[in-house]
Amino acid sequence: MGKKERISVKICVGTACFVQGGADLLLYNEFLDPVVLGGCDIEGVSCLGGCKDPNAKDRPPYVQIDGVIHGDMTQEKLCKLLSEAVHA
Amino acid sequence: MNDIFIDVDYAQIYKHGQKIGGDVFLLSRNPENDQIVCTLSDGLGSGVKANVLASLTARMAHKLSFSPMDLTHSARIIMNTLPVCKERKISYATFTIADIRHEEGEEVKVNLVEYDNPSALVFRGANSYLWQPERIDLEREGAFKQEVLGHSQLKLSIGSRLVIFSDGVTQAGMGKALPLGWRLEGVRSFAQAQIEANPDISSHDLAQAIVCRAHSLDRLSAKDDITCMVVYVRKPRRTLVVTGPPFTVEHDQDLVDKISRFEGKKIVSGGTTAQIVSRLLAKPLKVDMSCWSPQVPPCSTMEGIDLVTEGMLTLSKVAIALEQKKPVRSLPNDAVRKFIQVMQESDQVHFIVGTKINEAHQDPNIPVEIGIRRTLIGRLRKALEDNYLKETSQEYI
Repeated sequence: MGKKERISVKICVGTACFVQGGADLLLYNEFLDPVVLGGCDIEGVSCLGGCKDPNAKDRPPYVQIDGVIHGDMTQEKLCKLLSEAVHA
Repeated sequence: MNDIFIDVDYAQIYKHGQKIGGDVFLLSRNPENDQIVCTLSDGLGSGVKANVLASLTARMAHKLSFSPMDLTHSARIIMNTLPVCKERKISYATFTIADIRHEEGEEVKVNLVEYDNPSALVFRGANSYLWQPERIDLEREGAFKQEVLGHSQLKLSIGSRLVIFSDGVTQAGMGKALPLGWRLEGVRSFAQAQIEANPDISSHDLAQAIVCRAHSLDRLSAKDDITCMVVYVRKPRRTLVVTGPPFTVEHDQDLVDKISRFEGKKIVSGGTTAQIVSRLLAKPLKVDMSCWSPQVPPCSTMEGIDLVTEGMLTLSKVAIALEQKKPVRSLPNDAVRKFIQVMQESDQVHFIVGTKINEAHQDPNIPVEIGIRRTLIGRLRKALEDNYLKETSQEYI
C-alpha cells in the first residue's frame, strides 16, 4: 500500500468570507477529527476570488479542497467533505 | 512632511499614599508654526492643594508662553495670581517652560524658562552640554523671597535631548540610600549611561527609566511627586499604509513602485491589494494562522512588507481602538494589535488609498461596519493626529 497523498485545504480569510462564517472555520483544530486533521494540510489564503464571481452559484465562505472551490461552507460541511476526502 | 521630529513624553509617580499629583505636566503643539510648548510645575506641598497650585501655574505659564508677552511679566502675573497656603502663608509653585520651535534646517530652537525647579539637562548624543542661563530677578512686590528666573536660549540638533524634572527626582533617596539625595549630578550620569547603552532610546523610555530609578532610590515609597519629561530631536520614523487596489489595473505597477521606493515600515491592508503586491513583487504571501481573533481575520507575511492584514474589518477595528485610546496590552494577539504597535512606533504615517470598488463588499449580507474606505482612513488619521500627535498624509490611487 503506497503512502496516501495529503489533502490540501485552503480556507479563504478575505473580508467577505470571514464575516459570513469563515471565522468559525478557522477553529478547525477544535471541530475536526484528529485523524482527519492529520491527513490534511490546512492553510489560509487571502482571497479565493469566489465572492467576486457574478456567476457563482454558492456564497461565501469559500474553502478550496484539492483545487476544487466549495462555497456556503460550515463547520459540519467541512467535517463531512474532509472526512470523505481523507477516508476515500 | 518634516524631516525632523520632536519626540516629547513624560513619566510620573505620585508621592506615596497620594492619589493626585502635585507635579503637573502640560504639552501642546501648534502645528501652524511648528511650535511645541511643554510646562512642568511643582506645587507647594502635596496632594490636592499642590495640584491646584501646580495646575494653575502650569496652565497660566502655558497660555502665556503662546502670547507675545514678556516672560518676566508673565511670571509676575502667575505669582500674583496663586492662592496662598493656609499653613505656610505663602503662595508658591515652581515651573519650567520649554518653548520649542522648529523653523528651518535640522535645528530646533528652545526658549527655556526655569523657576526654582532643578536645572534642565541637555545631551548632545550621550555628551552632556553645560551652559549658563541668564538670571532675571523679578523684584516683585510682596514676594516672600528673592525670585530669580533662569532664561536660556538653546539650539538642539538631531540626536539631542532636553531632560526636565521636578525636585522629587533630584531629592530621591535623601536620608536613605544617599544622604543628600540623588542630586543633579546623579541624574546627569544616570541619563548619560542610559543614552550610551541605548543611543536611540525614546523620550518615553528615558523618562520612565529616570522616574523608576528615582522611585527605587526612595525604596519604592516616593517622598515627593517624581516627574520627568524628555524632549528628543530626531529623524522621523515613517510608515506607509497601503489599502485598496488602484482604480485601474494600469496603476498596479505604480503602487508597487511607490511601496518599493518608500523608506520606512510598510503595511499592506487588504487581501486583494496584498495579492497585487505579491504578484508584482514576485514574493509569496503566506497567511499566519496563529494570529487572529473572532473579530479580525489573520494577518499574513510577505518578504519586504512589515505587516500584511485584511482590509476593512481590520482597519475599522484599528480606528475604534485608536479613537478609544485602548492600551495595546489589552488587545488580543491579532492583526489590529500588530497594526497599532506599528502606528505607535511611527512619527509620520502616509496612506495610499486605492479607489477601486470591491464588488464583494456590495453584498447586503455584509455587516454595516464595513464602511467606505475613505471615511475609515479619515477616522484613522484624525485619531492618530488628535490622540497620538502623529503626522499623517494621504493620497489616492
